[in-house]
Amino acid sequence: MSKKKPRVRVNLKRRDFLTVAATAAGSAVVAQLVTTGPLSPFSELKEAQLTGLETKEHPPGEHHWGMVINLDKCIGCEYCQRACSAVNDVAPDKPWNIVVEDRTETGHKFFFSRPCLHCQHAPCVEVCPVQATYVREDGIVIMDYDRCIGCRYCEVACPFDARKFNWEERADENEFVPTWGVPEVERRPRGVVEKCTFCNHRIDPALEKGLVPGEHLEATPACVNVCPVGARTFGDMNDPDSNISHVLKENPTLQLREELGTNASVYYIPPREGV
Amino acid sequence: MTTLSISRSRFSFSPGFLAWLAFLAICLGIGLISAFQVLTNGLIVTNMSNTVPWGLWITIDLSSIALGAGAFTLSAVIYIFRIKPLERIARLAVLVGLIGYSSALLTLVMDIGRPDRFWHPWVFWNVHSVLWEITWCITLYLGVLLVEFAPVISDLPIFDRWPIIPRIGHGVHKAAPVLAVAGLLISLLHQSSLGATYGIIKARPIWFKPSMPIMFIISAVAVGPALTMAAALIIEWVTGRKEVPHKVLRTIARFSGLGLLAYAYIKFWDLAAVTYYGSTPGSNNALYILNQYTPYGFGFWIGEILIGIVIPVILFLVPRFNRKPMNLILGSVFAAAGIVINRWIVTVSGLIVPMDYSPGVEFQLDPGVYTPSLVEWGIVIGVIGYALLVFTLAVRFLPIFTNGGSKSSS
Repeated sequence: MSKKKPRVRVNLKRRDFLTVAATAAGSAVVAQLVTTGPLSPFSELKEAQLTGLETKEHPPGEHHWGMVINLDKCIGCEYCQRACSAVNDVAPDKPWNIVVEDRTETGHKFFFSRPCLHCQHAPCVEVCPVQATYVREDGIVIMDYDRCIGCRYCEVACPFDARKFNWEERADENEFVPTWGVPEVERRPRGVVEKCTFCNHRIDPALEKGLVPGEHLEATPACVNVCPVGARTFGDMNDPDSNISHVLKENPTLQLREELGTNASVYYIPPREGV
Repeated sequence: MTTLSISRSRFSFSPGFLAWLAFLAICLGIGLISAFQVLTNGLIVTNMSNTVPWGLWITIDLSSIALGAGAFTLSAVIYIFRIKPLERIARLAVLVGLIGYSSALLTLVMDIGRPDRFWHPWVFWNVHSVLWEITWCITLYLGVLLVEFAPVISDLPIFDRWPIIPRIGHGVHKAAPVLAVAGLLISLLHQSSLGATYGIIKARPIWFKPSMPIMFIISAVAVGPALTMAAALIIEWVTGRKEVPHKVLRTIARFSGLGLLAYAYIKFWDLAAVTYYGSTPGSNNALYILNQYTPYGFGFWIGEILIGIVIPVILFLVPRFNRKPMNLILGSVFAAAGIVINRWIVTVSGLIVPMDYSPGVEFQLDPGVYTPSLVEWGIVIGVIGYALLVFTLAVRFLPIFTNGGSKSSS
């Protein structure tokens, strides 16, 4: 083509121009299609991003287990922390559930408690190099202790400090056993990360027996059962008639660090004086 | 020729060399004792905690990978851009890269809670995880480095008896451009992903920024070749043999100096973004805590900017300074120190800032505290001892410099 250039300059120029214009337009269309258009591998994500802000998504399964914690009711007794530590045989100095005293901006005292929030877009799940932690179909974020390599990236990534590492082989006596419950799961081995499971060891067998988590005690997380003031409500957020759905409908609630878009399954009713 | 090199390596253990080997043996001994401690008692022997789950070892990982970047950078320059005069240093660059990457893997195996499951990332894939991608890249690249290094081994006089082995080695060497392309791609990917490891953590305002991967890759490309250059000068200084022309080394120094300037430029805008026009309440609080409770503000200006960038840039780029080999070595040491300090500050400063998640309440958790324990230092000393030992033995017994440079002078 370049050899002919001097002879038929005008024609070739036009052809060149058309070629360039067509190529540019073509690539623009293709780029548009594959980046944001229907051919894009990210189109689903993008749609989720656009719609997710309006309505909370639920996991694909039949149930979506969730919890509401009423900060207005919590009296800071730490019973939830103790029952949790006993039932799940958690090291007392590395609790899965924490209770801390806080003050609102107006100076009112309130107690803040936190299990794992079971985020639907969990940062810890995204970063795990071996998929040792994942979001189940019912929304519970769970650990595979047999797969974890102990790199602790999930601990670094969790915005809520909800993950604990087993720095040593545990030989301690659990001070909360048997006063606050008896261990229902094995201790985790040295070198893996552990976390709150929403007591899935109670939920899974209970469902087979036809019990309803959130209503029957043996199907409900220990921290919810033990709360003396009923500050915690547990249940299926997919079921519009469940306790938790009613509580969510009737109260103003918030998710922790909503701006991160993790879509936690734990909702909080703020103290009445405001935060 | 063969007998000559064998006799040379067998009979010339000078007292100084023996003392150096003894020193390295002590380092390795300390490392082995520490490793035994870690493997029997678990990570409880470290000072890491659930607040600061990463510490000195991750710093060493990141630093040794960054300092090993000279291998892919120089290989790309030599075999893709075909800058022939640099070829004299190609094998040395690959050696430094091999040592850097294997040191990183050694430290990493110590750092994970279950060393027996180190192979899990290869079997259980999580394609969304940067750490998964990094593990893959590092092991793949270690493979590339080993193949690139194969001709050095096959050139050994021992293999003269089986001519097939040197021939395979030369065949592999012919594939050097392909290997260089592979190394370039894999390295660009994981060197920046190491920065992304921090950059994607949206929960931590100090880390969560798009400049992280860019700063990591540019600093690695700038300082990696400088370390290789310094290694060449140190070899020359110890053995008294001029293996690589100083003109070539000065070229590398200038390249590193310019790279560091590019790094400084990105760092300047990063600083401006974090402290000024892109600041958020979260990053403001985090910086306030860091300045109040930690030496990291000071560490940034002295360690990263002055030691890590300004001094090496002057030593590498000003003609009056870069003509003296000592200045080039000093500049590389400072630049490498800057890398280590940077990786340390990035890791630890991001972790000791407590996270805010309670509604409307600031500083609910105390800032984390972390100083490495003796065992952690022991592992680091052991890894450094390993690196220096491999380097010493390779330089002593392997034909690191091609075209018979060492043979003609001995």
